[in-house]
Amino acid sequence: VSGHREFVLRTVEERGVKFVRLWFIDVLGLLKSFSIPVSELDSALEEGVGLDGSSLEGASRLREHDVIALPDPRTFQVLPWRPDSLVARMFCDVRQPDGEPFGGDSRQALCRVLDQASGLGYTMQVGCEVEFFIFAPLGPNGALPQTLDDGAYFDLTPLDVGSDFRRRTIDYLEQMGIPVKASHHEVAPSQHEIQLAHTDALSMADAVTTFRIAVKEAAHELGAYATFMPKPLEDHPGSGMHLHISLFEGDRNAFYDAAPDVPLSPTGRSFLAGVLAHACELTAVTNQWINSYRRLATGFEAPETVSWTRRGPAALVRVPSRRPGRAEGARFELRSPDPACNPYLVLALILAAGLRGIERGYELQAESVDDAAEGLRLPLDLREATDLFDASELARETLGDRLVDAYVANKRREVDDERRTVTEFDRSRYLRLL
Amino acid sequence: VSDAWIYGDEGGDAMSRLLAELGFSPRRVAANGTLRPPDGDSKAPALALILATGLEQPSCVELCARLAADDDLGEVPVLVALGSGALADGIGVAEGHELLVEPFTADELQARIARARRAVNGIDHDDMVRVGSLEMNLATYQVAIDGRPVDFTYMEYELLKFLVTHPRRVFSREALLNRVWGYDYYGGARTVDVHVRRVRAKLGSEHASRIKTVRSVGYRWEGT
Repeated sequence: VSGHREFVLRTVEERGVKFVRLWFIDVLGLLKSFSIPVSELDSALEEGVGLDGSSLEGASRLREHDVIALPDPRTFQVLPWRPDSLVARMFCDVRQPDGEPFGGDSRQALCRVLDQASGLGYTMQVGCEVEFFIFAPLGPNGALPQTLDDGAYFDLTPLDVGSDFRRRTIDYLEQMGIPVKASHHEVAPSQHEIQLAHTDALSMADAVTTFRIAVKEAAHELGAYATFMPKPLEDHPGSGMHLHISLFEGDRNAFYDAAPDVPLSPTGRSFLAGVLAHACELTAVTNQWINSYRRLATGFEAPETVSWTRRGPAALVRVPSRRPGRAEGARFELRSPDPACNPYLVLALILAAGLRGIERGYELQAESVDDAAEGLRLPLDLREATDLFDASELARETLGDRLVDAYVANKRREVDDERRTVTEFDRSRYLRLL
Repeated sequence: VSDAWIYGDEGGDAMSRLLAELGFSPRRVAANGTLRPPDGDSKAPALALILATGLEQPSCVELCARLAADDDLGEVPVLVALGSGALADGIGVAEGHELLVEPFTADELQARIARARRAVNGIDHDDMVRVGSLEMNLATYQVAIDGRPVDFTYMEYELLKFLVTHPRRVFSREALLNRVWGYDYYGGARTVDVHVRRVRAKLGSEHASRIKTVRSVGYRWEGT
């Protein structure tokens, strides 16, 4: 660790960094940040910085609680935007004053599951396709967002802000150590997709968090506004965040089966069976907002049932066909998550569910051959999803009661808030009729 | 601070002092045939120094051969210090990367070390490594391309530094994990591939291709 620390202190000095942002993640996956001047950096690395732990618990704070944010020097990175006044960031682990991990920290919850997996000799690799919209600067709260283009799928004409924007974003991401595999214009107007190259789960969760900031920053610089809201436009597809999951034992992809026409190894089948068996109770995490369910409700290839397929477009899980001899490519693609999720909790629970599938030898259900219809129905709305999550023994065992309770409190409050809201739907449907 | 390992007993204390004055962290290796200092961590030192006078078991020749054959120590620059009397019989004269003849001054030692590191690791006297427009400052952890700073994370920097200072040799993922990461990582063997990708992306088109993928073996840095 001393090497890391020396690197951080020396780089700050050599590069003339003025402030360091300490990043931590609240229970909803929202990035919290506070800046410290570099003069405080040495002691922050040594002792951490005190903060109120209830700030990690979203809008429904359980109680005040003093905690320590301890920066992780391995994540020190100069931010590529605002080159005129250099700022760097570090992710923090949040601890109790006695040094024990704080139960409300989702980043550490993921680390715990990774430790378990590593004890079994496994590491999970994750690739990620993030969709999002960029709009003209937002009007007053509630106004319809304005699209910037009418770009069609794979339309790479230089006429839209879109390609400038993507270039700038990708540049930022690569400078932040987040390699991009591909990027293109998505189906809906103003919608984009960027694919992040696979990496270990913790790096991916950090990358998604960083990604959301970098995208918003790049959009802002071009006079636009980026949003990861799952379903901003009623008549167009929403934004998903498909996850490509594989499991390695050392150098070997544990999902790979050399036999022809076998989509996944026995380990892979059990892992996937675990993910499918717990898919409903984990929906509150893969799809955590009321708005998330409007994406799932309207088709456009968003999954509605617990199913897997090699070919169909709308199942919850797709197992891509392998190129012969490419063992490292064996994986499955989970299609329910959206980009507004808490990636730490999502990846922790997917891994925990998969490991349970392996441990208990779950049988994989039959492949769904037609469009999706068969299979258990996914929760229809946040209320149903939250009830299932609240009662999930897997979630409580994996994340701990403190995280689950804080999460559920937030979600129940969101459901109640919506229940009390009179919407445009009410007025247009009922005002004249009734 | 870079480690320097000292083999041989005669003049060991004086050599330790000299190396410490030059900014190295000297460590003595017991004269019982081991290659590593006690309480050893696995990281290779920046430098190995053999005090050949009075060295019998193993001989200087044997020691150099074993260092060169060792997986982790194979490309550590080796300096051999001889008494002037030994020159005539030629024992040890051809060994190591650089020769020191006693008595020598601190300035001469510094110059010889610089020559050995330059020859073996491509590290210049000012702790810089220069490959075309790429510059790495090993004293300050800073990397620049065409004079413009490039910001790496610590592990990205360490990986690049390792590759750049061990040019032309192929390293397996396993070897890179052990020698660059130690045991502090989550990603398994894939971590190496992922970091290589990140480093290549940051290096940009001119230098990215210097990290060669050697299929089903590992990676190699090509400096020229």
